[in-house]
Amino acid sequence: MTEAGNGNKVCRSGILIYTVLGLWGLSTIFPFAWVLLNSFKASAEVLNSSFALPETWILDNYVTAFSRMNIGTAYRNSLIISGSVTAGVVLLSAMLAFALTRYRFAGRRLVNALLAASLMFPVFSTIIPVYRMMIRAGLLGTKLAVILPHIAGNLSFATIVMVGFMKTVPIDMEEAAYMEGAHVFQVFGRIIVPLCKASLSTVAIFSFLWSYNDLFVQKIMIRDNTKYPISNLLETISSQYGTDFGLMAASVTLIVLPVLLVYMVLQKNIIKGLTAGAIKG
Amino acid sequence: MLYKKKWPALLFVLPGLLFLLIFLYLPFLENIRNSLYNMKAVVELPGSAWKFIGLKNYRRLLWDPDLRTAIGNTLKMMALTVVFEVGFAFVLAVLVSNVKRLQQAFRTVYFFPVVISATAIGLMFKLFYNYNGGMLNQLLNAVGKEPVNWLSPARAFGMVAVPILWSYIGFYFVILLTGLSDISEDIYEAASIDGCGRGRQVFYITLPMMKPVFATCVTLAVTGALKVFDLPWVIVPNGAPQGLTHFLGTYMYQQTFGLNDYDYGSALAFMIVVMGVVAAGVVGFFTREREV
Amino acid sequence: MKNKLLSLLCVSTMAVSLFTGCGSGQAAGGRETADQDGGKQEPEENTGGKESQEQALVTLKTVSMFGGTDPNAEAYQTINEELMAENDYITIEDNSQTSDEDWKAAVAADFSVGNEPDVLQFFTDATADSIVATDKLVSVEEIRAEYPAYAQDTLEAALAASANTDGVSRAVPTTGYWEGLYCNKDLFDKYNIELPTDWTSLETAIRTFQENDIIPIAVSLNNVPHYWIEFLMLYTAGEEGYTSIPKTAPAEWVKALELFKTLRDMGAFPEDTDTVDDAYAGQLFRDKKAAMQLDGSWYAGQIEDMEGTVVIAFPGVPDQQADAASMIGGVSSGFYITRKAWEDPDKRDAAVKFVMAHTSQAGVQRYWEATGAVAQAATQVNPVDGATPFAESIAAYTSSASLMVAPTDARIGDAYKTLVAQIVKVSTGAMTAEEAIDLALEKYAEQYGE
Repeated sequence: MTEAGNGNKVCRSGILIYTVLGLWGLSTIFPFAWVLLNSFKASAEVLNSSFALPETWILDNYVTAFSRMNIGTAYRNSLIISGSVTAGVVLLSAMLAFALTRYRFAGRRLVNALLAASLMFPVFSTIIPVYRMMIRAGLLGTKLAVILPHIAGNLSFATIVMVGFMKTVPIDMEEAAYMEGAHVFQVFGRIIVPLCKASLSTVAIFSFLWSYNDLFVQKIMIRDNTKYPISNLLETISSQYGTDFGLMAASVTLIVLPVLLVYMVLQKNIIKGLTAGAIKG
Repeated sequence: MLYKKKWPALLFVLPGLLFLLIFLYLPFLENIRNSLYNMKAVVELPGSAWKFIGLKNYRRLLWDPDLRTAIGNTLKMMALTVVFEVGFAFVLAVLVSNVKRLQQAFRTVYFFPVVISATAIGLMFKLFYNYNGGMLNQLLNAVGKEPVNWLSPARAFGMVAVPILWSYIGFYFVILLTGLSDISEDIYEAASIDGCGRGRQVFYITLPMMKPVFATCVTLAVTGALKVFDLPWVIVPNGAPQGLTHFLGTYMYQQTFGLNDYDYGSALAFMIVVMGVVAAGVVGFFTREREV
Repeated sequence: MKNKLLSLLCVSTMAVSLFTGCGSGQAAGGRETADQDGGKQEPEENTGGKESQEQALVTLKTVSMFGGTDPNAEAYQTINEELMAENDYITIEDNSQTSDEDWKAAVAADFSVGNEPDVLQFFTDATADSIVATDKLVSVEEIRAEYPAYAQDTLEAALAASANTDGVSRAVPTTGYWEGLYCNKDLFDKYNIELPTDWTSLETAIRTFQENDIIPIAVSLNNVPHYWIEFLMLYTAGEEGYTSIPKTAPAEWVKALELFKTLRDMGAFPEDTDTVDDAYAGQLFRDKKAAMQLDGSWYAGQIEDMEGTVVIAFPGVPDQQADAASMIGGVSSGFYITRKAWEDPDKRDAAVKFVMAHTSQAGVQRYWEATGAVAQAATQVNPVDGATPFAESIAAYTSSASLMVAPTDARIGDAYKTLVAQIVKVSTGAMTAEEAIDLALEKYAEQYGE
């Protein structure tokens, strides 16, 4: 390890680094590419030659997927659910964080402790009573039965991220606004929320993703196949039509593609948001 | 001055707090009560009252071999996520921060699996692992080897762990990469001048400075491992083969909603919280120690 | 090549039927909006003989197990569409699924919380006990008091066979079922093997196929080991032992389930039997990669090769107690009307119409043909022409059965799931058969005790 061979070494290690990084990149792209490719083949062809290009490109799998599977409705259901969850989590966590960082009130420490401790509750630990609650409230099978537990489940994480961020926001502007006659709610709506945009978008993105991708709560709360959100529908496809490889590939593609497209468009915000939030949290 | 009046605080706290109480804390307490009764159905039906059975379910917890597997798998998963997810993500982050071109592309691509639903990833891996004509066996076939039963008892856990680990590396990668970029270049430059090589810089500068970020990652990884459900459920439902791929979540689901054993499910749910608290305590203990 | 063609044909007919299904769904939606614009409408006809007043729009919520890949699904949808076309004030909101444990649990949950459908096509055996206990299902007798023509085509024996465990008839059946051994006769011929008639010949067949790289028996032990549990237990324990509900594991049941390990050790099951879905196992058999598959009459609709496939009686077990050609089967499902619909004046008539459309002679004929004209029909049926070797073998099997007895889950209900969940372990020896049975019986005592 002498300093002399440095130039050569840098070059060689550069190649090595790019190889490692490239291979990992490949591992994340390849599965999706494989699935996409095979979604254009008949099942038998997938079984025999899944790596070759399709002999003839067929759209049958997609036609079947749409006609048999209610994919459109499932998308809509998922969007409504995740949209509501996101809105609820963003609003409630901002409010909670605002109160916790700006006020000193009796029980503040208790609320903080409750928030931190609830991170320890995986959804499994509360689902049976929540299920009973939904049953008795007559909400079983409705979107609300999925939305409410999801809001509660994401709230603690979101609030902790928001508290971390709001602490760093200097209080001067709020005081100034107050001097000019603004009341607390105006301060919250016009100053705090805009200032916290970056971390609010993190919270929004992750609440959305986590509720969109969840299977567990959907599986328990929604049993009516006309009301299935995406994850639920996918799981059903796999158990009922699991032998039809072409159809499976097409269904996976249909469900993955929109998310990937949205991700490509929003990725800067997603990654910026994640880092702004998670690190300070 | 603005925040002298306290009453608005109540308005801001109350809605969120109610959510926490109604959907997390009350259910948690109810769970404990439910686990002490023989729940014949999930809601009391007329003519079939629940009978108090005391700690019977908890005695069963102690002797349940499938549960032991599930706990073992969850603990293994915690260790694996810390070592492979956080560890490998860190390696990738260091490498990426050392290259000039394609940084953005790597970030984009590595994050792919994070945004995809675990259900879709599970289906994909089901296609890979299938014994008859799955992708892996087609590969073996192409090189003239016998097909392998990828989900045999000996391999199943590993085969389920791979997609779980693979899919979330991107998440930690991005967090760690940002942590890296927050470390000032000056420190590295100073170190270089003092004759400290790249490799040693990682050990003596990067790692110590990243402690808080690592603490976040490890906490997320450990609690994340407790929440594993979708992937194993889709790839091998009901812990197949022989309950060997059960995790706490899947086992609780099977007992509760598959076999309709709601009271045992409640006991399992309570146990999961206890495990979570203990795990978080352990992680907290270690990360705090280091900061002193 | 021929197989490929056949499967292609099959896929395309399935696709077509799906299109029509989807199209009609949209049409129904369209009709609904049109009706709302036009206000209430007069019904075109009134089969129930009720007063012909202004007919309100009725949306019937129906649930059946004729969904997914079930061979009855197509007939079920067709009858629904016809019903909606004839009575344009009725909209059917159907939520049918293939019946599995999840589905049964979901149906029970719906009943326990008042979210039950208006008409339910469901099991009539012990599986229905928890639902029957809610007293939300109307008895046939009560319906007949208002609609004397209700279930008039149904054979008395079939109606009696589909009474619930308390002896009251609530459901009107369509077809019964049997379980039997599906064999790829062409594979047996190719390797010069006799179709098995007892344990010894079964063993020989398994060995020979094994040596020739054919999977002897297609089954998913993780998913649906039910048929093997039933036949092994019936043949080992005999009718009396089989139909009893013991307190602890009887020696015969233990011996029966131990055969899972024997069979497994012989290499009778697919390599991945612990993890595959039932659908995969069926595919193995139909692709001629496996020689035998134990399954129910509902599976007949999926068979494409009518020349090379036959159904035979279960061959037997060592030290057999049951008579040869003992059969598991019965009438175990039918259409129920729930009290919710019965007490809703708008829905009562529509619900009765719905059930009658499905259980009349014409309806049953359709279901019977849909299952390959092989199930046991609950009404008189007209024979179909041109029986294939496959259909002939089924006719021979069902007519020569020495005994017909309902499976275990008809008697022990939910506890059966606990047994099913342990079969893989029993087959590998990770758990003894005795432990598995005791676990299930314990569950049974917990559920029904006190």
